[in-house]
Amino acid sequence: MGADIFVGLGLVLAAAAGASNVAFLFAGLVYVCIGLAYTELAAAYPVAGGGQYFVLRGLGDIFGFIAGWAVLLDFTIDVTLFAWTCVDYLSQLAPGLTQSTHPWVHFGATFLLIAGLCVLNVVGVRESTAFNGFVSALDVMSESAILCLGFLFAFRPELLIHNMQFHWPSPYELMLGISYAIISFVGLESISQAAQETQRPASIIPRTSIALILTILIFALAYSNLALGMQPWHPILDAHGHPMQFWQIFPNNPDNQGKAVALLASQVPFYGAIAALYVPILGAILLLISSNSGVFGSSRIAYAMSSTNLLPSLFQRVHAKFRTPATSIIAFCSVAILELIFAALPALDPGAKAVYARFFNGEDGLTFLADLYAFGAATSYSFVFLALIALRLTDPLSPRKFKIPLNVPMRFRGLRVEFPIVGVIGFCGIFAILLFTLYTHPIGRIAGPSWLILGIVFYIVYRRRKGLPVFHSQKRDWKRSQIDILRNAGELELMDEYLANIKATDELRAKAEA
Amino acid sequence: MSSYVISISPVGAIVAALVAVSIGTTLWWMLHPPASFVQKLAAEAESSLERMVGSIIVAFSPEINSSHMMALAAKLARGEKSELHAIYVIEVPYTLPPDAEMALEERAALDALGAAEALALNSDVTLRTETIKARSTKQAVLDIAKRDKANLIILGSYREGRYSGAPLGHVIEEIATDAKCDVLIGVEGKHGTLLGDSLGDPS
Repeated sequence: MGADIFVGLGLVLAAAAGASNVAFLFAGLVYVCIGLAYTELAAAYPVAGGGQYFVLRGLGDIFGFIAGWAVLLDFTIDVTLFAWTCVDYLSQLAPGLTQSTHPWVHFGATFLLIAGLCVLNVVGVRESTAFNGFVSALDVMSESAILCLGFLFAFRPELLIHNMQFHWPSPYELMLGISYAIISFVGLESISQAAQETQRPASIIPRTSIALILTILIFALAYSNLALGMQPWHPILDAHGHPMQFWQIFPNNPDNQGKAVALLASQVPFYGAIAALYVPILGAILLLISSNSGVFGSSRIAYAMSSTNLLPSLFQRVHAKFRTPATSIIAFCSVAILELIFAALPALDPGAKAVYARFFNGEDGLTFLADLYAFGAATSYSFVFLALIALRLTDPLSPRKFKIPLNVPMRFRGLRVEFPIVGVIGFCGIFAILLFTLYTHPIGRIAGPSWLILGIVFYIVYRRRKGLPVFHSQKRDWKRSQIDILRNAGELELMDEYLANIKATDELRAKAEA
Repeated sequence: MSSYVISISPVGAIVAALVAVSIGTTLWWMLHPPASFVQKLAAEAESSLERMVGSIIVAFSPEINSSHMMALAAKLARGEKSELHAIYVIEVPYTLPPDAEMALEERAALDALGAAEALALNSDVTLRTETIKARSTKQAVLDIAKRDKANLIILGSYREGRYSGAPLGHVIEEIATDAKCDVLIGVEGKHGTLLGDSLGDPS
């Protein structure tokens, strides 16, 4: 989850300038609501499908498909975006990889990373858990060190206030910044994906989830405030030899936007001398791991969707030799490569640059990918809030070991339920971000909805061929399913509670009928 | 390249401390989840095992064949870093003085304790051995356990002699009844008949 700030920081500083911290705060508050919603749902329904499963259960098949399809867009973008920024971070040490000066080399390196991840996942090479743990621990320590030493030695509160006063963006730029800020907070799907593989998820997931939400929020707010109030260790000069402030190296400079944390770390007094050498490598490794999480995330979601008849059984097919879902992996890596081609095309071909300048406000490369990422995230998160509200009303019997605070008790279809106020606030927030994304991102406005329309057409054709209801939901035994989920997760006490709730409700209904 | 003068702002120092404390506290909280009911049960069992195997006595006598249990005791002692003590009790009849020479029994004791030392050596465990002459095997084992503040007495079984009224041998039953610490009794399967019966094996 922590890798997103490596991508989002530069984009937000470029878009929202003196209000970058406000952009992060707004997106961060929405993120807290999203995080709480995911925490409650992942603890109550610990299955691999994540957001799409919650929506499927709460809102039905068609909306489950749309949410899952939006998550699939995010995962494929995830593969490309993180591979792209992985190369950006490496370019800090190997300038030959810089996108603006060597676009073909950058494209080739990113392409090779995606293709390499595809092959590794098809063959079934496993990541080392110990290595992942080591990198995560090193990341937390490094980011904490960057922030603590940065605030200690380089932070000037008066500079922060000055930037907020004199470099406050226009409303359009602020909306743009907020829509980019939300991509720093993507990754909640990973928690719900992990829920199925966690023993006692109802106890472990809420704690892990809340801790990660807080950590990432602290990092995002701290980074943005530090970047705005930072006195660089070494003077930064513009083309005319005038000194610049740190955050001013990001606007109109996509190369810098893609490696913001490494640049910030190098400007921390003393520590920057070491950080300049290893933070780009650490960032690149983290981003590569995140890119890989997009590869297996997409195949897992597709598998889950396929098992609930939202996608063809093709996506459940496992390779005879490698025992991996090779078809899924290759399909979604191909989509990721297609997205890479669309993102890199303007830099590679002047003709395409003119077309992009005319129709897409000149958005390309990193901003192209970030736009789509923001669209996919905002769309799927919006549905998750609706699913949270729907499940609170329609499935009050499922035990929720973690429940979002601020609920209104009420009766619905004869049962006592709790209506989540935070769910409504969160939905308004994420829906606003979705509107900001559609308003400020020409690519997101065109490519995002196009992806959804394509998916819906595909869904209609598939369901018709299979003889399944298209706009209605297939009948499912959710009670049996929930018992199996809790039993498989080792949550035996919750399973007992669920069975007792069902029994009590059945008795009440029988009495009422009598 | 020239550098700015480095100075520490009080606000920056406070924020740095807040960031460090909040990240540290959050991650500590995340890594220390409360234990579930089954985990508490497991922890209690582990804690009682630690109490049980702090100091282990393996008892031998002409009536108690503990050789096969010695191997288990050595492995247990190694895993739990317990003190291991092997004793061989020679029962001296009242018709003889307490320190009477009993060559055959002493020779058997040397063999049994020598084998125990070899097993301990193989398992890389330090073993104390002792040969004790006493009027009552049961009392001797219980006295040694009390003296050493043993947490666990490990005994084999004796089933090849005459039936003595207790399936495990009366000495073993009495030790298990009167001991103030845990007693682990290992019965060798080779004397059983169930497998042979079920297969129709006349032996």
